[in-house]
Amino acid sequence: MRAGPSQEEIRRHNLGALLRHVHLGGPTSRAELTSRMGLNRSTIMALTADLTAAGLVREELPRETGRAGRPSLVVRPESARVYVFALDVGVDRLVAARVGLGGVVLDRRETVRRRGPFVMEEVVGPLAAFARQMHRKTRPDTVCVGAAAAFSGGVAREDGVVRFGPNMDGAEDVPFGEEMARRLGLGLPVTVGNDANLGAMAEHTRGVGVGCRDLIYLHGDVGVGGGVIVNGTLLGGHQGFGGEVGHMIVNPKGRSCGCGSLGCLEAEVGERALLEAAGRFENHSAQPYNGSGALIGRDAVRAVVDAADRGDIVAQAALGRVGDWLGLGVANLVNIFNPEMVVFGGTLREVYLGSAAQVRSRITTDALPPVREHLRLRTSALGDDATLIGAAELAFAQVLADPLEVLARAGS
Amino acid sequence: MTPVLELRGIDKSFGPVQVLHDVAFSVHAGEVTALVGDNGAGKSTLVKCVGGIHPIDSGEYLFEGKPVHVHSPREAAALGIEIVYQDLALCDNLDIVQNMFLGREHKRGIVLDEDTMEEMAAKTLEGLSVRTVKSIRQHVSSLSGGQRQTVAIAKAVLWNSKVVILDEPTAALGVAQTAQVLELVRRLADQGLAVVLISHNMNDVFAVSDRIAALYLGRMAAQVKTSDVTHAQVVELITSGRSGDLGLTNGVPA
Repeated sequence: MRAGPSQEEIRRHNLGALLRHVHLGGPTSRAELTSRMGLNRSTIMALTADLTAAGLVREELPRETGRAGRPSLVVRPESARVYVFALDVGVDRLVAARVGLGGVVLDRRETVRRRGPFVMEEVVGPLAAFARQMHRKTRPDTVCVGAAAAFSGGVAREDGVVRFGPNMDGAEDVPFGEEMARRLGLGLPVTVGNDANLGAMAEHTRGVGVGCRDLIYLHGDVGVGGGVIVNGTLLGGHQGFGGEVGHMIVNPKGRSCGCGSLGCLEAEVGERALLEAAGRFENHSAQPYNGSGALIGRDAVRAVVDAADRGDIVAQAALGRVGDWLGLGVANLVNIFNPEMVVFGGTLREVYLGSAAQVRSRITTDALPPVREHLRLRTSALGDDATLIGAAELAFAQVLADPLEVLARAGS
Repeated sequence: MTPVLELRGIDKSFGPVQVLHDVAFSVHAGEVTALVGDNGAGKSTLVKCVGGIHPIDSGEYLFEGKPVHVHSPREAAALGIEIVYQDLALCDNLDIVQNMFLGREHKRGIVLDEDTMEEMAAKTLEGLSVRTVKSIRQHVSSLSGGQRQTVAIAKAVLWNSKVVILDEPTAALGVAQTAQVLELVRRLADQGLAVVLISHNMNDVFAVSDRIAALYLGRMAAQVKTSDVTHAQVVELITSGRSGDLGLTNGVPA
């Protein structure tokens, strides 16, 4: 029988907690860390000394304090030295970035992904090449402590296998993380998460939802993804597929969805629904990408919002229709989860701003009064990089859980 | 919570024409209050009364719960009320810092304290997460419409203001810039300011506002929480001064 956590476990936990503070909060004085973590000064000093020796943080005199007395040293994350690789696999784009401790994007590469069936090599190849290019440019004293990818599809928590991707044919039962790790060849595993789930975490820790314990993030790509954060924790469900709000059925006799059902939120407010309603849809699976010259993806959605703003009545009607369904979806979600904030990210940022009158009217009529009274509707603060930043946070998870062990492994 | 700014029973006439009748209007910290109404409903007059440009004929003007008398824009600014008019009042031939401090320059002795002004301007823009402006020593003539709006808003925020009133900030902007300005408006309120947004665009109003105040022919038809009304109700309030139980009865507030 165990009496409780051992001293070693407590120390590991405190080291991780301190590192998390400076990772998320930026440079922080020792005095502030002392009061925020509720530990005494000598403990903070010892923890900081350990992290400094490991090269994870450094201590500096503050530039100016404006207060009397000896200034407290400021603990800064070693952003330029300790980094992770963050990858983002969207339907239309592939992004790789080198992100430093503290969430600083140090280097970033992006390329267009052709729409169409999922082919492992076409995704893993460019991303691995980007990572190698960026790796080659690093100084010898830098250390990579993790790698993670955001994937536009359902990812099993247990093994990181992509189980479904309604907007990428063939992305079913794909061991993406394993293959990516092999191709990166850094001796590090690649953790994989659902893109919208990771976007939710990113907005919660670094974006518009900082300090918000209950939040729902809705991510518009081709489809609609979501992440639900309840009391500070992401709802993953039994297997990790939780939060697929895009496949909440809002219109049982509605449009057909890539998942096989009818009237999913994604089918009613996704890119295709908007473009079809606006009379701007062209079937790209039948034609090569860019072959028709018509816009797709974010540019196409923006063009509809722009046209509506200029008075195009077809575009206005299309946006109004989509906004109405979006409002219905949000009303259902807020009735169930009672979040403090709903964040619209990806293409839903433009869709929300362009159809807010419909979205909010629907919420007013369909959501319970006490639930909607304090609800805050916001657009993503991290913009297009929300999912990428979320992947970086996932990659940092291990070093934040056990800083010294992970660093020792990475350094060896 | 006491409103930062509260007007009660405001009347205002220009000669024989009564423009505001018994108007009540309140603005809360941390919230965006949208002021809507048809052309000629009295929005601009109300804002000019708040800003000390027009003296009010009768009624109460309370700031942070205390009665005050505001006779000039300078007195309004001293209370912490800033207004960004549609024309933005920026000087094309000056740079961003010069514009932000225009008429209120910091001095060190008899010379201008450029360093302090530059630092304050940079800090304000950074605090608003403005990343679209390349250099703060850029001439305003080289900025886009959205960037100009951003500079005008930053100028209003620079003075530790408590109430910022924005007159049609998204009119004449493209969609991408409108989105940025709307997000900036929201951020101002989230940072604790009381923001008044005058707009004709119902999507803008619903996208960022917490309350909507609808003027109809010089009377305040209703001041409601945005989470309690629909688009159709607001349009009714604007066009007929009444919607269901909300609004005016025989031209008088219920």
